[in-house]
Amino acid sequence: MSHLLELEGVSKRFGGVQAVVDVDLYADSGEIVGVIGPNGAGKTTLFNVVTGFYAPDAGKMTFDGHNISGLKPNALTRLGMARTFQAVRLFNAMTVLENAMVGRHTRTRAGVWGALTRNRRTREEEAQITEEARKALSFFGNRLIGREDSLASDLAYADRRRLEIARAMVTGPKLLLLDEPAAGMNPAEKEELITQIGRLRDEYGYAIVLIEHDMPVIKGVCDRVAALDHGVKIAEGTYDEVASNTQVIEAYLGKAAAAQREGLA
Amino acid sequence: MRRLPRYVRVGLLGGFIIIYLTAVGMIAAFHERNIITGVVQFSVVLMTLVYMAAGYLAARAPKGGSPPLRPTRDALIAGAVGGVLVGVFVILMTVLADAGYTPRDMFIAITPATLDILSFDQGTYLSLPVQAVLGAVLGLAGGYLSTATPNVRSTVTRAISATLIGALGAPLFSVMMAGLGIPSRWLFRSEGLTIVGTVFVVGVTLLLRWYLLRAGGVRNALDRVPGVTRKNVNVVTWAVVGVVLAVLPWIVNTFVSDVLGTVGLYILLGLGLNIVVGYAGLLDLGYVAFYAVGAYSVAVLTARSSFLVGADVTNLAPDGFMNFWVAIPLTIVIAVIIGVLIGAPVLRLRGDYLAIVTLGFGEIIRTLVLSDWLKPYLGGPQGITEIPSVPVGPFNARDPRILYYLILGFVLVSYFVSTRLKYARIGRAWAAMREDEDVAEGMGISVIKYKILAFVMGAAVGCLGGAFFAAKLSVANPGSFTLLVSINVLAVVVLGGMGSIPGVVVGSLVLVGLPELLREFGEFRLHIYGIILVAIMVFKPEGLFPDARRARELRGEATVKEPVPALAGAAE
Repeated sequence: MSHLLELEGVSKRFGGVQAVVDVDLYADSGEIVGVIGPNGAGKTTLFNVVTGFYAPDAGKMTFDGHNISGLKPNALTRLGMARTFQAVRLFNAMTVLENAMVGRHTRTRAGVWGALTRNRRTREEEAQITEEARKALSFFGNRLIGREDSLASDLAYADRRRLEIARAMVTGPKLLLLDEPAAGMNPAEKEELITQIGRLRDEYGYAIVLIEHDMPVIKGVCDRVAALDHGVKIAEGTYDEVASNTQVIEAYLGKAAAAQREGLA
Repeated sequence: MRRLPRYVRVGLLGGFIIIYLTAVGMIAAFHERNIITGVVQFSVVLMTLVYMAAGYLAARAPKGGSPPLRPTRDALIAGAVGGVLVGVFVILMTVLADAGYTPRDMFIAITPATLDILSFDQGTYLSLPVQAVLGAVLGLAGGYLSTATPNVRSTVTRAISATLIGALGAPLFSVMMAGLGIPSRWLFRSEGLTIVGTVFVVGVTLLLRWYLLRAGGVRNALDRVPGVTRKNVNVVTWAVVGVVLAVLPWIVNTFVSDVLGTVGLYILLGLGLNIVVGYAGLLDLGYVAFYAVGAYSVAVLTARSSFLVGADVTNLAPDGFMNFWVAIPLTIVIAVIIGVLIGAPVLRLRGDYLAIVTLGFGEIIRTLVLSDWLKPYLGGPQGITEIPSVPVGPFNARDPRILYYLILGFVLVSYFVSTRLKYARIGRAWAAMREDEDVAEGMGISVIKYKILAFVMGAAVGCLGGAFFAAKLSVANPGSFTLLVSINVLAVVVLGGMGSIPGVVVGSLVLVGLPELLREFGEFRLHIYGIILVAIMVFKPEGLFPDARRARELRGEATVKEPVPALAGAAE
């Protein structure tokens, strides 16, 4: 059977650097796939290839039955893919609500004519955009609701991360790609995030792929974990399988340390 | 060497500013301009303001420092130091001139007559005590203002500003009063206020201020009047603005009407560029291209010398190819096509690169128009002449007043279009693209489509400015479409506040209207223009009339509930 997202032999090279080498990966609706690996392992590059920011050099990528190689990010969003960014990238001079409303862009149609005449269809569409945006904001309880008219740049860091997720939810995705959603959060906030990511899977049925350095978060939410090192997928399986994989430990700690750990065990 | 005390530095700076104003000739030129006729000239006001500013600054805490222990003394010394410097300057110049070294080789404005202004006709050597005492007194006054309660301070500033506005606007105001049939001799004489006029202006300002303070602000004062709600205050305000705009050409003379027409053209251009730069964040330095396209399209389509009717300058056809009103939609179509042509190749570029390439496109259009290749069609350096005026039934559209109404109409339409686009899905998409192009694309916005759309909408609005320009002057030639136009329009947008629609109006009035009305400042227009631009960018970087949220972002102010944009609300 075919998966929602399926990568086969995807590679990306920058000059002499092989950032992503021959990676296979899949994700299905209602599951959370973690992507781990040391710094520079090619995780974010893989995200950028999948979401159309980079074109892959080789490999086959399908999403929801479409061949997505070479499609642009906006086309992928339309197909149902949404992402967040490693360094939070909100529209700073826009309000919280407007940030979320932008997410609805591909699901709506009003053009110049609609904007100028403000006809009934446009007004209804605007109302519907606002509603969708508020619904997504309220996913985070009262963290974002009540602050709709604040500038995005005025939000606290964790709230900025939350708003990025809300903005992605408004696009009406089937697949959510989260790039280090827990970065910079304190332990309590991470706990909250773990529950919320779980809810995104269970209540919304999204397929979720997330990159994370924080192992408790990976352990807490992921149904399956893939580990990358130097662009190569070196392991895949449950969290425990991957965490005990020698190659993964080597990648994180170096050969000597790994050997020492073997000896101890 | 130890640093000089702050009040000395401030005083020296003040003295230098006065010397500078003298050296560039402003003091001499502005001595011809009355503020209070026969009593105070603008040159004296300039000196007064500089000394007061020196005293004011000396008496207040420096940035991040503690306030001076003896502010009054500091202010007095600052003013006196400035005065002594100016006095020394006068003496030095005279001595040098007597010894045969004439500073006038370099600074032609430093004449004995100018120096007499500085010494208040008291002779060279008395200039030092005169200026020192003047500086000390005014510095003291400035220092007093600095330590006074904010209330006193703003009252005094308002009285001074009102007098200055009244006096500098005297030529305009007396024309307007004449237009309304009100006698103005008692108020204005020789382009300045009379003594009675000054008392009147200051008196009215103080009375108004006293009344508003007692009532607790305009809003509260209005709230107290029975039957007045915020809503009908807004309605009345817009109605008053509407009536003023409607009768304006009839209470001012044709020259002022003509200036207002020019301001209107710049508002059209500014609104167009505001879409490209302010909304979509695409820095376009070649916007003049659309101005030229508008002007030349109308020229070719309507002129009696157009090749379309088989004519040329020496052999005029009885009529143009088509009527102005038919040509306008066609002009917009042409501008849109050119907008796509210019927009498409620069889609991949960002920021500085985009600016440079658009700069090039602006020049390409001008060079094309100048070229021998297109000379049979566009007239080369001579351009196209014999463009008929806009046909408006029985009225003569060469009359600046009629043109004013036409341009006003198009400005209102463009204003409406700009507002609607801004607060819509398109406006959000542009804003997102301006903030972060990659993320906008990641959120599903087709960056290519929206960039082209921004260029197209900007072109469609801006070409109207060109169309009216051609019809107004009856010629279109390459000399009118230089890089300077692009820069001026950009300055209008930036000065008003990027992305702000009322800002474009304010920017045009300040940058285009004011210099025209203050023509007597002649050669100093660009000088003052530059000072104003620099001052605004330093003190008010978000612009004169900024978009509410951009102001918040730039100022980093605490979040406040956003006021409903006036026109967006009114339009619903």
